[in-house]
Amino acid sequence: MAEILKVKGLVKRYKELIAIDHLDLSIREGEIFGLLGPNGSGKSTTINCILSLLEYDKGEIEIFGKPMSPKAYELKNQIGIVPQDVAVYEALTVYENIDFFCGLYIKDKETRKKYVQEAIDFVALNDFVKFKPSKLSGGLKRRLNIACGIAHKPKLIFFDEPTVAVDPQSRNKILEGIEQLRANGATIIYTSHYMEEVEQLCDRILIIDKGHTIAEGTVDELKGMIKKSEIITIEVAGIDDKTLDMVREIKNVYSVNYENNTLKIEAGSGKHNVIDIVNLLQDKGYKMKKIFSEQPTLNDVFLELTGKQLRDE
Amino acid sequence: MFVFPLALMTAMHFAFDSIYDYQNSIDPMKTIVIEEGEGMYQDGFVDLVETLSEEGSEDQLFVLEDVDSLEDAKAKLAEEEAEIIFVVSDGDIEVYLQENHSVTAAAVAGSVADSYMQRYTLIADAYERDPALAMELIEDASEDVTYTVSQKDFFAADPNPYSWYFLSTLVMGILFMAMMGISMVGDLRADVSAEAMRYSVSPARKGQMVIVSFLARLIPGIAIVVVQLIVMKNVFGIYLGNDYFKLALFIVSAVMFSISFGVICGLCFKGNVNQRGNKATSLIMISVFLSGEMIAQLPGIFERYFPIFNKINPATVLNMALFKLTIGNSAEGFFLNIAEIIGLTVIFLAIGIAVLRREKYASV
Repeated sequence: MAEILKVKGLVKRYKELIAIDHLDLSIREGEIFGLLGPNGSGKSTTINCILSLLEYDKGEIEIFGKPMSPKAYELKNQIGIVPQDVAVYEALTVYENIDFFCGLYIKDKETRKKYVQEAIDFVALNDFVKFKPSKLSGGLKRRLNIACGIAHKPKLIFFDEPTVAVDPQSRNKILEGIEQLRANGATIIYTSHYMEEVEQLCDRILIIDKGHTIAEGTVDELKGMIKKSEIITIEVAGIDDKTLDMVREIKNVYSVNYENNTLKIEAGSGKHNVIDIVNLLQDKGYKMKKIFSEQPTLNDVFLELTGKQLRDE
Repeated sequence: MFVFPLALMTAMHFAFDSIYDYQNSIDPMKTIVIEEGEGMYQDGFVDLVETLSEEGSEDQLFVLEDVDSLEDAKAKLAEEEAEIIFVVSDGDIEVYLQENHSVTAAAVAGSVADSYMQRYTLIADAYERDPALAMELIEDASEDVTYTVSQKDFFAADPNPYSWYFLSTLVMGILFMAMMGISMVGDLRADVSAEAMRYSVSPARKGQMVIVSFLARLIPGIAIVVVQLIVMKNVFGIYLGNDYFKLALFIVSAVMFSISFGVICGLCFKGNVNQRGNKATSLIMISVFLSGEMIAQLPGIFERYFPIFNKINPATVLNMALFKLTIGNSAEGFFLNIAEIIGLTVIFLAIGIAVLRREKYASV
């Protein structure tokens, strides 16, 4: 697959603060690429540099194989943006907003009319076309925000935290819509601090913190980077210390915690972790009530790699 | 910027009514005419006074009272049951007024008597040849009565708070068009609004949009001011002079100045568009107040103690240009003010366009 976006050695400083520190990025055609990091990690700054909105100190940025600059109008024609803040005009109706922003890219009236209607259908705002944004709920405004960014059918679309403060129903609709866009041939860069969305949507993810790349790869690759690859929870009463020590000695187990009749074990990668532990407990005559096994989350990845949580509590 | 100034002017108008008409309207005065002797002179004057006593007529000045003698007439005058007595004899007209007579009564009586005496020869000749012509001349004489002042002279009274208030309210409305300049900044600067950010990422040419954005505000702005001036002239009766070319020059340069001033405010102030607008509003209100909107004497005070302020306060500069155009009748003064307005506009526009055309920012 062709390389749609390439960023090399990007550096952006705000006086003494280094907002982006030698960031490299490569995004292939047709993928949904996630940019994941806590608030203030440099996600939006990276996007703004790529879009030539922000001056940066060092680095190269190429889109569709050509250097990106404010005057690269033929590149801009193929880019769409759904910014973090809802960017629509309060004085225009839903239809007029989409038509206006589509009109910045598509000059032909008939084509634009068709595209605008398709965008309205895509975000399911057909019942609201004559409404002004002030009359829409937060979720509907976000959908309008998306429609304004994708109406001109761009090949590369930037979604900057599109589901912030959105109700679950609208959120699911937005995520489904993004998958549909990819199915229609777009390449998507998706920034968020919600790991669940990024895990669900993205083919590859770059985890960023304080402007640095922490890790990059598919979801499985990222999870494979950390020691903890399985968390096993067993409800069992009255385990003695000797048995707990034996559990600790099982291969791949690196953390055991027993509290309130619940045994929590963190284990590394291994196909038989659960079986090994359950067999041991059965041999010792313990009766187990419930057994859970779960994979680590991206938050676990981030926590292990940085010592911090992805989201502020 | 359209409704608010008109609302203020309407309130002012209703508070004082049309002050020009008020001060120039005459309540018909009770008048007695005593003829001494008989003759054409006396007959002609009586006809004149009767013409000016026609009830319901626009030119009615008098309400004629009947008395038998001059003594009765003087008694009525003393008891304030009459205001004017004309005693007309052959070739002469005497005028008697109350002791505390009004200036209007004296002006009107004097004017009527003088006008008749000046025209008598013409009227007398006309009586012999053509009585109808004589009546015309008498009616013409009634129109010549100069008890009123022209609207121009009336409004030129120095100082005239009434006209100053209307003109400075108009200027305030024009200055509020600075909000249009601020909204331009919000539309075009990606570090001010998300809509501008979306716009900046698009392939639309920034330079073109700056110009289109400016014109989209300039044209309606000019239209608003034109409508306001029409209302001022035709509804509120404010004198605006006769030089429409200079008036048009004032309108275009004032609106351009105001929008470009707003662009500079929008670029200098921090915050979102609303916050920048609020700060600009405060600045404009201070400028308008110090230009004499509420206290007409303020510019005079600044002129005495701190004259440079009047030259740099935008509202005062605009006020003075408009005043010199409409009432002051000072072409040189007007053009000097206009030159300052245009000069500042050019500077503001040059800076504004250069900054608004930028496509990359230090921070967004």
